[in-house]
Amino acid sequence: MRCLKYFENNYTMKNYKLAWRNLWRNRRRTMITSASVFFAVFFALIFRSIQTGSYGYMYTNAIESYSGYLQLQQEDWWDEKTIDNTFSYSETIEQLLLKDENVEATIPRVESFALASNGSTTKGVMLMGIDPDKENLLSDLNQKRVKYRITPEALEKIQGNDLFSEKSKEAAALFVGSSFTNEERLLLDLDIDIEEADAFLPLLKKYAHYDAEVIKLGEPGVWLGDKLAQFLELEKGDTIVLLGQGYHGASAAGKYKIMGLVKLPAPEMNSRVVYMPYDIAQEFYNCGNNLSSLVIHLNETDDKSVRKTKERLREPIPQHSRVVDWKEMNEIMIQQMEADNQSGILMIAILYMVIAFGVFGTVLMMTAERRREFGVLVAIGMQKKKLASIITYEMIYIGLLGIALGCLITIPLITYGTHHPIIFKGEMAYMMEDYGFEPKLVFMPVSYYFLWQAFIVGLMVFFSLIHPVRKILKLKVVTALRA
Amino acid sequence: MKVLELKNVHKIYNSSDIKVHAVNGITLDFEQGEFAAIVGPSGSGKTTLLNMIGGLDIPTEGEILVDNTDLSKLKSSRLIDFRMNNIGFVFQSYNLIPVLTAKENVEFIMNLQKWPKKKREKRTLELLKAVGLSDRINSRPSKLSGGQQQRVAVARALASKPKFILADEPTANLDSKSTETLIEIMEVLNKEENITFIFSTHDARVVKRAKRVITIEDGKVLTDLRN
Repeated sequence: MRCLKYFENNYTMKNYKLAWRNLWRNRRRTMITSASVFFAVFFALIFRSIQTGSYGYMYTNAIESYSGYLQLQQEDWWDEKTIDNTFSYSETIEQLLLKDENVEATIPRVESFALASNGSTTKGVMLMGIDPDKENLLSDLNQKRVKYRITPEALEKIQGNDLFSEKSKEAAALFVGSSFTNEERLLLDLDIDIEEADAFLPLLKKYAHYDAEVIKLGEPGVWLGDKLAQFLELEKGDTIVLLGQGYHGASAAGKYKIMGLVKLPAPEMNSRVVYMPYDIAQEFYNCGNNLSSLVIHLNETDDKSVRKTKERLREPIPQHSRVVDWKEMNEIMIQQMEADNQSGILMIAILYMVIAFGVFGTVLMMTAERRREFGVLVAIGMQKKKLASIITYEMIYIGLLGIALGCLITIPLITYGTHHPIIFKGEMAYMMEDYGFEPKLVFMPVSYYFLWQAFIVGLMVFFSLIHPVRKILKLKVVTALRA
Repeated sequence: MKVLELKNVHKIYNSSDIKVHAVNGITLDFEQGEFAAIVGPSGSGKTTLLNMIGGLDIPTEGEILVDNTDLSKLKSSRLIDFRMNNIGFVFQSYNLIPVLTAKENVEFIMNLQKWPKKKREKRTLELLKAVGLSDRINSRPSKLSGGQQQRVAVARALASKPKFILADEPTANLDSKSTETLIEIMEVLNKEENITFIFSTHDARVVKRAKRVITIEDGKVLTDLRN
């Protein structure tokens, strides 16, 4: 009761009220100004969510397809990735690393370069010697195996079957040579609705089936990135010729059967990777028991945990080796993302700047229109500071209305987008893949970047307020009353 | 008891190298409960004089004392508080706060003065009854006629029981009937509340009802007659 009484009698409470009512004197103007703030907040949030979400997705892809969060390497290997800069692997090293509370497993790799050729076509490739079982812990390679492929034969069968619509036949022609790791993506790109899937999937599975055979330690055989296979015009069952430089000047050469294809989310990897069992790679490079890296698979992968684990592992690791984190290994990508991030921020800054001028225009008009009223209020006894506070409340309300509305609409959209990324299909998907992007827009969940928008709008309101507050504080009552 | 004294008040405007002597050495005083009209042709200095009396403008020379306080010596924020507590204003074009109801407009200054709610409401209802608007307490200015708005303005000016009320041509925008009503109300309130009313006017009907008529020309007092 005391509290209520306080509010009833408290003048500040009246300022709030008066400001709120003033806001609706010119309903249309208030709505337009709030709407402009709303649109700025809406677009900025959606844009930031997609941009940062996509960065996160790309980082995860890079980490999970290749680098892992931490790697143990010979100290010179990262700067010069030759097979000579590998280190001798023993189980003692693994035991040492596994002692750390955050280390779940170690994943051995023999990685170097080689020339891959088929007939007269040659390409420099990244040869990854892996332990196929352990590799699944990190990159889940099994899930990235190509299971369907629109080969020219498959296309011919699809086009010859009248059950398929013209639309699907056209899409199949567009995607000839493309690979798919799951049925959903296949249906999506061929423009087949979920309702029709039951009818067409068995046929598609029959025509486009392309499942890879497994690669196993001790058994020669390779998996190729699907874009690399396309470039070299190789298919499952064909043989690839690899030629490289082995350990300490030895020459490395070999022919390997292609057991299957993999489609990785990182397009750059997709066009140059050759996977083979690491013991076969050791044999190929003639490097004994050496490894180029030992991926350290972690339980906790947040930045802080990664940093602390890296610090802890500095001590027990062998001489002439070092632990490298994912940021060092993906430096170029991070720099590119950072540059893109800066340009995104600049775009948003321009958007806000335009809106800020709009808001300022409204404030300017409002100040000019209400000059006489300000004069009257000061004449009858309202302190200029109080009057300025009313105008401040009005502007805060406009800002809050825009922010609240923006968040109210954006939060459900972003939450939905987080769980249902935008996946492009058809020609758009084809084009994006061609440019080296995965045809997928990922949203970043609601997070700190929402607070930034509130801060920016607050800043915008603050700067817009400078003019009216200054005008009020310098108000000459007599002149204002004549306005 | 003197509520207001003007001692040799001058106001000179310097614009475009031309000096305009709007008020030229006026000396006047007003007793509590006076009902005084300031008359004169346009440009004679009525409004400038009222502005200075109300502390809205500062004299170039001379003193204006309200209850022995020299207005020109007060700092801006203290002057605003002084006006709030001692001077009521009625403007030619009403100047009510458009987003507040009649009741809230009258309460406004009492709110600024932090009157307790009950006392505030009692006073507001009394005043609105006195100006004949007890049935329109919840109407906003836009729903009131010009005459009704001006009556609310008079009630607002009286609300905080000021030493005097300044009204700059309060009937200029009103029809004859509304003028008559307003003047009657002002007269009654002048008697009942014993508050000094000083108003400028051109209207002969209003002048006729004033107890004291001060005629100004070229910034000087020409005549000062008491009925």
